[in-house]
Amino acid sequence: MNNTSAVAIVPLGRRVIYIRDLLHALVLRDIKAQYKSSILGILWSLINPLMQLMVFSFLFRVVLPLGIDNYAAFAFSGMLAWSWFQLSMLQATSAITSHRELIRRPGFPAPILPAITVTTNLINMLMALPLLLLFIVFSGGELKSTALFLPLLMMLQFVFTLSLAYLTATANVLFRDIQHLMAVCLQLTFYFTPVFYSASRVPEKYKFLYELNPMVHLVTAYRDLLLFGQIPNLRTLSFLALASVVLLVFGYTFFMRMRDRFVEEL
Amino acid sequence: MNDAIVVENLSKHFRRFEKDRPSSLKEAALRGFRNLNRSETKFWALRDVSFTVPRGKMIGIIGQNGAGKSTLLRLIGGVGRPDSGKVKVSGRIGALLDLTTGFHPDLTGRENVFVSGVICGLTRAEVAERLDDIIAFAELKNFIDNPVRTYSTGMQMRLGFAVAVHTDPEVLLIDEVLAVGDLAFQDKCLKRIKEFKQYGCSILFISHNLGQTEQICDEVIWLRQGELVAKGNPEVVVGEYTAELASETRRRTPIEQPAIITPSGAELAVNKNRFGSMEMEITAVELFDSRGVPATELNAGEALSVAIEFTTNRPIDHPIFSISISRDDGFLCFDANTSAQGLQLPVIEQNGKIVLHIERLDLSGGRYFVDVGIYEKEWTYGYDYHWHVYPLEIRAPESKGILRPPQLWELSELAQKAEPVDTILRPRFIEQGRTNL
Repeated sequence: MNNTSAVAIVPLGRRVIYIRDLLHALVLRDIKAQYKSSILGILWSLINPLMQLMVFSFLFRVVLPLGIDNYAAFAFSGMLAWSWFQLSMLQATSAITSHRELIRRPGFPAPILPAITVTTNLINMLMALPLLLLFIVFSGGELKSTALFLPLLMMLQFVFTLSLAYLTATANVLFRDIQHLMAVCLQLTFYFTPVFYSASRVPEKYKFLYELNPMVHLVTAYRDLLLFGQIPNLRTLSFLALASVVLLVFGYTFFMRMRDRFVEEL
Repeated sequence: MNDAIVVENLSKHFRRFEKDRPSSLKEAALRGFRNLNRSETKFWALRDVSFTVPRGKMIGIIGQNGAGKSTLLRLIGGVGRPDSGKVKVSGRIGALLDLTTGFHPDLTGRENVFVSGVICGLTRAEVAERLDDIIAFAELKNFIDNPVRTYSTGMQMRLGFAVAVHTDPEVLLIDEVLAVGDLAFQDKCLKRIKEFKQYGCSILFISHNLGQTEQICDEVIWLRQGELVAKGNPEVVVGEYTAELASETRRRTPIEQPAIITPSGAELAVNKNRFGSMEMEITAVELFDSRGVPATELNAGEALSVAIEFTTNRPIDHPIFSISISRDDGFLCFDANTSAQGLQLPVIEQNGKIVLHIERLDLSGGRYFVDVGIYEKEWTYGYDYHWHVYPLEIRAPESKGILRPPQLWELSELAQKAEPVDTILRPRFIEQGRTNL
């Protein structure tokens, strides 16, 4: 017999509220910590992408002109979506290994840790979103009603990122160099994601390979909704949604199965 | 069933990975991912442990480092999976483990109360409700809006403790956290824990403070290398355990060390009047009277200071210093140690000196010895223990008792007016063994 049964009779309602509160408290802690420790505080979540945007603008409007209209809004939208993904993955990969005490705490729901990093970075992105809207409006563009679908798209990216996060967080417990590997992979994937260029420039014969990167579709979809006022390719997105949900179930199951190992490996 | 915790034939083994299992991808790849799960050495963290904890009882767990105490607590808390056997816990589990888990140094005390409270299992609304009580308990009202990084370790622990005890657990797991803050605060913590017990909370308690364990637990479990050695009456189990520790010190005492003569002229010979592993050595022991003059004779009621000089050639983790005074025949009259006073010494890396000031020593007249020792931080064994090496003569009339506190006889006779006789003012009456009535 292999069982530990903690017969904690907690009503489901309270459990749901508790998980929500836990997420709330820990995300709030991380966000507050980000800006409390620096003088410019929360501005850093804007300064970083803005600097990057300046470099991109110089490179791809002056040095190697790509001929993209309204480049600031174009690149910035890509960067927001990308950095949400990148930072979440980087931090989530070490979410288990860097929270040893929480993992070893009776009753602490470990699966919440990757969700916390993805949520924290979502909020950072949301804080930079008004700036993107400013770029769009100031450059003469206008926000179409398609922008209302933005939350749905974010939900999709959330599930997609989280499902990967469960896998990498678990793998990192078993092999600590996964986190270094992730850093390298993410850096390379960045170039294979249409952040500072347009996916339409990729030659037809490479398209199939290129489009295997889910972030290609996500970034393009953000632009469709916000910049071009058109409905993105729903077929690809629904496929991605389905795949993400399957991956999430798989990732979560893998995470939970390995969970007992965490305690021993940490 | 009235048992809050039932542990049946619980076993847990850990694999030692260092040798055989790759911990990085490179190593794994070099070996062609072959022996990812093979493990050669496995050791039992717990082996066939069974016991029950009735509702409202407090059970202490003692044993040396690595005996499986913390593993047991974690398994009961549902962290990790036993290899065989069962753990059944009924009721909401609370834990006093790492008190400052989740604290962020840049956030204020108040903000951290919310983080920590939620980690302890409360909802935000519940934390808000108890916020004032928590702050009051931690005695941090004036600091609660300062960042936690400005707090001393003691303050942080107090805050963590205050949060943890404002949950309402039905089963409480405590691991080494009652040595928080000053004695007054520790007292408050103990009181709080007794309250938990009163409303039916069952408590499992790990502490290296054997005295405290003996005092506050209803029963004690002794684990040795994952096996349950004894369970029962605290006094008995702690006593057996202490006896085993003493023999452990004997076992570790080196044999070849030559005898030395102390400055006071006594011979110090290993295994005769000196025991311990000698990882840390007592180089000199001196006794001083109230004026700071070296003394081996004192009047009853005088102050005594005992200075121990020590040396070590490797860093020693939080050692415990112990000083006791025993009679010629070995009867223990006075016993003090740094750990019982809630004092945790730092890591000691070189020579040093520690002094115990005893304000007054009200012992009966006679010949005594000051026994001094340095022990491993968990009392596992002694580093150096000098037994019956440093004599102390107390000048007072001999008596069969142990104590000679300031005393006063007062006789009231019906017809006559009594005249008080004070031993301090007129000690010669006492010394002559009769009163002047």
